[in-house]
Amino acid sequence: MPTNHDYVLHNCDHYDGHRYNHLDKRKYGDGADICIVGSGAAGGVLAYELSKAGFEVVVIEAGPFWNPQTDFASDELSMQSLAWNDTRLVAGSDPLGMGHNNSGRGVGGGTVHFTGVFYRFHESDFRVKTLDGVADDWPITYQDLEPYYEKIEKDIAVSGPKHFPWGPFQGPYPYPEREPISANAQVFREGCERLGIRSTVAPLAILSAPFDGRPPCINRGFCNQGCKPNAKFSTLIHHIPKAIGHGAEVLSDCMVTHVKVDKSGEVEGVTFVHDGKEYFQKAKITILSAFCIETPRLLLNSACPQFPDGLANSSGMVGKELMTHSGHDIFAKFHDEVRLYKGTPVLAVSQEFYETDASRGFVRGYTFNAHGARPLGLAKNLVSKAGIWGQKLYDIMRDYNFHAQITLVGEVLPDKNNTVTLSNEKDEYGMPRPVVTFSYGGNDNKLIAHAVQKANEILTAAGGQPSFVTPDTGHLMGTCRMGNDPSTSVVDHSCRSHDIPNLYICSAAAFVTSGGCNPTETVMALAARTADHIIEEAKKL
Amino acid sequence: MQEIRTRYPGYDILKEEDHWDEHTREIVLKRLGPFPEHKFLKHHEAQMIFTIAQHIVYDHRKEILDYVLHHMDNTLSSPVGEDQRKTGTPEQKVLIREGLKAIDKLAKKQYGPPFLEISIEQQLSILTALHKGLAPPMKEWQTIPQKALFKKLATTMVSAYYSHPTVWSEIGYGGPAYPRGYVRVERGLTDPWEAKRDANES
Ligand SMILES: Cc1cc2nc3c(=O)[nH]c(=O)nc-3n(C[C@H](O)[C@H](O)[C@H](O)COP(=O)(O)OP(=O)(O)OC[C@H]3O[C@@H](n4cnc5c(N)ncnc54)[C@H](O)[C@@H]3O)c2cc1C
Ligand code: SF4
Repeated sequence: MPTNHDYVLHNCDHYDGHRYNHLDKRKYGDGADICIVGSGAAGGVLAYELSKAGFEVVVIEAGPFWNPQTDFASDELSMQSLAWNDTRLVAGSDPLGMGHNNSGRGVGGGTVHFTGVFYRFHESDFRVKTLDGVADDWPITYQDLEPYYEKIEKDIAVSGPKHFPWGPFQGPYPYPEREPISANAQVFREGCERLGIRSTVAPLAILSAPFDGRPPCINRGFCNQGCKPNAKFSTLIHHIPKAIGHGAEVLSDCMVTHVKVDKSGEVEGVTFVHDGKEYFQKAKITILSAFCIETPRLLLNSACPQFPDGLANSSGMVGKELMTHSGHDIFAKFHDEVRLYKGTPVLAVSQEFYETDASRGFVRGYTFNAHGARPLGLAKNLVSKAGIWGQKLYDIMRDYNFHAQITLVGEVLPDKNNTVTLSNEKDEYGMPRPVVTFSYGGNDNKLIAHAVQKANEILTAAGGQPSFVTPDTGHLMGTCRMGNDPSTSVVDHSCRSHDIPNLYICSAAAFVTSGGCNPTETVMALAARTADHIIEEAKKL
Repeated sequence: MQEIRTRYPGYDILKEEDHWDEHTREIVLKRLGPFPEHKFLKHHEAQMIFTIAQHIVYDHRKEILDYVLHHMDNTLSSPVGEDQRKTGTPEQKVLIREGLKAIDKLAKKQYGPPFLEISIEQQLSILTALHKGLAPPMKEWQTIPQKALFKKLATTMVSAYYSHPTVWSEIGYGGPAYPRGYVRVERGLTDPWEAKRDANES
């Protein structure tokens, strides 16, 4: 193990002017207005907005408070530690890869090792039942989120094209698009051009010029290993430090194991474990922003005589309708080098196949991201997902530099059989390990087949020879869905639980459908909207 | 097996180490050894892992395989979780330990001698069968799913192999790139320090 790991000097309690490696000097030890569980995309935004509005906010985070300079490395293997490595049990006919593939742990959550591709959902994403007769409509519309999309983009200086040809927002983005783009992105755009498919430079939560004391991207390509220069946004470097400036307290390396309900049926606070010892955090309002596996696990594990099926679960929908995106990687080999390691991983995209097109034989659609790859990630996917090993693997990897890659982000429809439940196996905290069950449905598989063929056409048009496809998934959504009907959903249009008025659930877990693009801008817009709702509600008191 | 291993014979990524940040350099250079004694793997298990790794990564070089072995031992002795595990599959420590025993038993059953003493073709045929889940029936496979065993062995080995700087040099990967980053990222362009192909190669 490297000797100079810092984790912000191994402290676990952080507030303005103070950092402690123990929990004896807690700022809000006697209680806070708001307790947020999880400091990822949603938790970070909520902490910032609510502390800025004057609430006493405490954020409790299971993982470390990273120091990008000393904890991050330009290395794939060692940076797998940024992920939620605790074992989850997986089942179903298409069992999901967890860990680095979709789950972050530590201050910043998934935003620390995400790729930074930053999309708004389209209007249709919120109305799939009305438009396509599948799944359900969201209890909010695109227009409800629009001001928050705009705010988030400004807050973190999203870079992107002057004109974005798809969906209701057509640009321009606050910061100029990235330039130059990588060879892989050029190949993609050339292929698209030849086929008459529109493509653009990617909208990114990555700086194209200095902003807020942070430098522009230096194209090192290690976004999934944590950005050392701080050119890529994360809530670790943006929202959380600002929240601390506004008075918030962050408890890191603290795993919440229980949400406690009082006699009146309201949440009293949460129990958490630090260094093997149990603590309690009291709060008037509790917000769970612990993503799509840990949120339902926590709610189910908090079952009590008043709520024997778990908290906020009168609908039985806690842990149901887990979604991912189909994320197949499609590769072609070229005569000249492409060098997939260079540059920000995603620099060109297309949403030409985003909306439902009846002639394709399936509903909904997908996004294509021209996507970089690094040796470990590629070789590991080849062996574990495509079953390629030995000389064949070696032959492909020797020509690593000659491959181009397109990655699919395909909508996956919600299905009640895709679930997070509790197993009989216990983890180090004595909590039951989750069982994550996932299988693709018929529509999902037709969409994948269409996308793989289209991607191969694009790569072929660019002069490549289709070489292999690694089936993959990206992102998680759902398990505590929003809705107007308390009998079929967990939270309302403001992410407040139907059953317990001072309990909010705000993260990707609240999604009703997955959309056909990377989800984090929508997670953050939802969080900013929930914060506004809490601020407005407080004014009424 | 040592045919043309690289299109970049003149490229040595370690020559760039002065341009890497200190944290990354420390991590990468440790992969060159020397390695501490194994904490989990017993002698016979280590020999089997070493031999299986030769087939999985298609390489014989001891200095690289020793790192692969070290990584396997580190993984199996670490308290860190394994991200995901299929229901019905035992913890990785048990999967590998009991799995290696089952592989030895299978070798004896099919060919007479234990795994390390059968021919390369026979070893490969066992690995191929495990990969497909088609090894001859044995009661062990009820608790040690063949495909899960193969996948755990292979992904752990491949992860280490493609993290070794010698392999990075051979595939022409740029490796660590902080604080320097890349200036010339477009098609056909390279920064002066990147891997260049042999001029004679088409
Ligand atoms: C490799 C990778 C690439 C990605 N690329 C993109 C991309 O390009 N674009 C995009 O839009 N999205 C991308 N994503 C997805 C993105 O990371 C997620 O959508 C986003 O982080 C979800 O936000 P969240 O707030 O719901 O959860 P998270 O950000 O995951 O935050 C949850 C936090 O809760 C903490 N937590 C969980 N349980 C507990 C507990 N019991 N006690 C205390 N704390 C707890 C976790 O440690 C974590 O920090 C990527 C993800 C990965 C893994
Ligand atoms: S490519 Fe840019 S944003 Fe990504 S890690 Fe490197 S410097 Fe950061």
